[in-house]
Amino acid sequence: MKTLEVVPLTRVEGDGGITVTLDGKKVQSVTLDVHEGPRLIEQLVRGMKPEDDLNVVPRICAICTLSHKYAAIRGLEKALRIDPPEKAQLMRDLMMLGESVESNSLHTFMLALPDFLGYPSAIAMLGDYGDDVKRALKLKKFGNHVMEVTSGRIVHGENPGLGGFGRYPSGTQLKEIAASAKELLPDAMRAVELFSTVKYPEYPEVETVFMSVNAPDGKYGLAGDSILISNGEEVDAEDYKKLTSERVVTHSFAKRSAFNDKSFAVGANARMINMGKRLDGQAADLFKENYSDRWLRNPLLNNLAQAIEMVWALEHLPETAEKVAALDDPARADATRETGSGTGAVEAPRGILYHHYEIKDGLIEVADIITPTAQNLDDIEVHMKACAEKMLAEGKSDEELLPALEMTARAYDPCISCATHLVKLKRI
Amino acid sequence: MSSPKVGIYGFTGCAGDQLMILNCEDRLVDIIGAVDIHSFAMAKSDNQNKELDVAFVEGSISTEEQLEHLKDIRSRAKVVVAIGTCACWGGPQAMKLEEGGFEDRYGGVYGDANITVTKAFEAQPVDAFVEVDMKIPGCPIDKTEFLSAVSKVVAGRHPYFYKFPVCTECKWKENPCILNEGKFCAGPLTKAGCGAVCPSHNIPCVGCWGPTDDLNLSGEYKLLVEKGYDTDEIMRKFKKFGGAGIAKLIKSMKDEQRGVSE
Repeated sequence: MKTLEVVPLTRVEGDGGITVTLDGKKVQSVTLDVHEGPRLIEQLVRGMKPEDDLNVVPRICAICTLSHKYAAIRGLEKALRIDPPEKAQLMRDLMMLGESVESNSLHTFMLALPDFLGYPSAIAMLGDYGDDVKRALKLKKFGNHVMEVTSGRIVHGENPGLGGFGRYPSGTQLKEIAASAKELLPDAMRAVELFSTVKYPEYPEVETVFMSVNAPDGKYGLAGDSILISNGEEVDAEDYKKLTSERVVTHSFAKRSAFNDKSFAVGANARMINMGKRLDGQAADLFKENYSDRWLRNPLLNNLAQAIEMVWALEHLPETAEKVAALDDPARADATRETGSGTGAVEAPRGILYHHYEIKDGLIEVADIITPTAQNLDDIEVHMKACAEKMLAEGKSDEELLPALEMTARAYDPCISCATHLVKLKRI
Repeated sequence: MSSPKVGIYGFTGCAGDQLMILNCEDRLVDIIGAVDIHSFAMAKSDNQNKELDVAFVEGSISTEEQLEHLKDIRSRAKVVVAIGTCACWGGPQAMKLEEGGFEDRYGGVYGDANITVTKAFEAQPVDAFVEVDMKIPGCPIDKTEFLSAVSKVVAGRHPYFYKFPVCTECKWKENPCILNEGKFCAGPLTKAGCGAVCPSHNIPCVGCWGPTDDLNLSGEYKLLVEKGYDTDEIMRKFKKFGGAGIAKLIKSMKDEQRGVSE
């Protein structure tokens, strides 16, 4: 028996390792271990006031910081029956669009593209693909700028709060955002061009189920109160436990999720599969040109979905910024009760993020947070196993296997610190 | 002279400080030109474990495996720099250091499952285990402060960090005092460097940069009690980000109070 180890899995956010145990041409097991130390955040916020929870929970993940903030806000506002003013809601949409551009540009160009083009890192691509690395940096910088203007800081901004914002950006800042988004659209189109022309190996293909939020008003979006499943079902976000069935596995600090005892996937591909028909503008055309039923089997296409989503985000940023600018700054909405429960569901760049809270007399009694990577872990294992089996059957070497497995895992844009917890190949 | 060999490592935290290094965008290319990055697992695959001139360490230490890795980094690096509040103080995951109860909280999340990957323990800052030569605080670190520190460190010089609290930066910005409005603001307790970003957004400082030098914890405590804050609430807010630094001060404050009552 032989073990191939990819510890730590690089170019992902956080500390994890995947152990693939091989016996001749058979794959005995694929186990994704999360080595990242547990932080027990849900336990630490018990007894806190909702406002204090909002300072702590976004610190679960620096990349999805605003998704955590927004999911918590949605959950807490439901629990406390807070009805946010229209301008606050538009600002939240704007900050989520900024985070989406920031994260998708980082993952597609900088983290995933080196896999497809055969480089160890984006840094190594500077010579041959310098213009694309610069495009990525420009898009990322813009995404960060939107996050900074809306949330107060690039990472862990405290400006978004319950019932509204501490301060709203100036008309000039919003105009600049609208203008920059229009200017950067060709750079996002280049990401789609790159990811629609690279080769997607068939090895990791297995049919799976995809979940995303159902954005309101029949639009494509990044938050919603119900969940769409690719089999046609729709489930209220309050019933998130039925959709995730969290369990503990002994080889990892990250909990696992399953739906009907099977793995499922969340992410930009899930959003496109469930809500792609709702896209408009050039994003709609790009989706129609590039979508096929292969998306339902091949997780590598999540990279293409993220690239198309960047186009969507840049097309929607100007109008959202203009709408924010057109409204007067409202006062924060207040809580109308002190006891209650609520579940917030938002689309973090890597998939659905749930924050569920139970509040009694103004203090948090229960906090339950289910991150997108935790939901994806089983599905990553399933597709890695399929990938290893097919490659071994074709007589591929371990040296060929390893990068293909890493690429499969990385396609999910896993955020290990948020799942608390990526490849290790074992031969027996 | 050859370029300084640098390693960037992440432990328990949100990876926000490593992300801030990636967020240096335009300046990132300059940094890559000035130093030889031997290890940066978050950003590249071809990492090496060799002798280092400077190791930047993010995150708190909360597992046996991490502790071994940290000791290995220390043994290979001439200079170890703790970056971010988690590495410097323990971060939010160390908010209960002073009161304990880790086993119960661990059980609350994982039940009785026997997780075999490695043994976990209450998160602590990096200097609880190895010698740290320099601390760059922040949640996350500030780009300007980090770049200025890096340029000094790679030139073999010691960078300058603010020794005063957020209040000083807040005064520079001429913000109205939030504490005077009767709201809990951690400004007087918290190390400057963020540019008083929260008070500048009409939001009280949350204390995310950790305790400032020479802070008067019992003074702020008394002030908040006078303003009618619940003592448990004050303690919860004190502990949110201060980790080991605040735990130490709370202990001496309690000793002081006991001394007064005796």
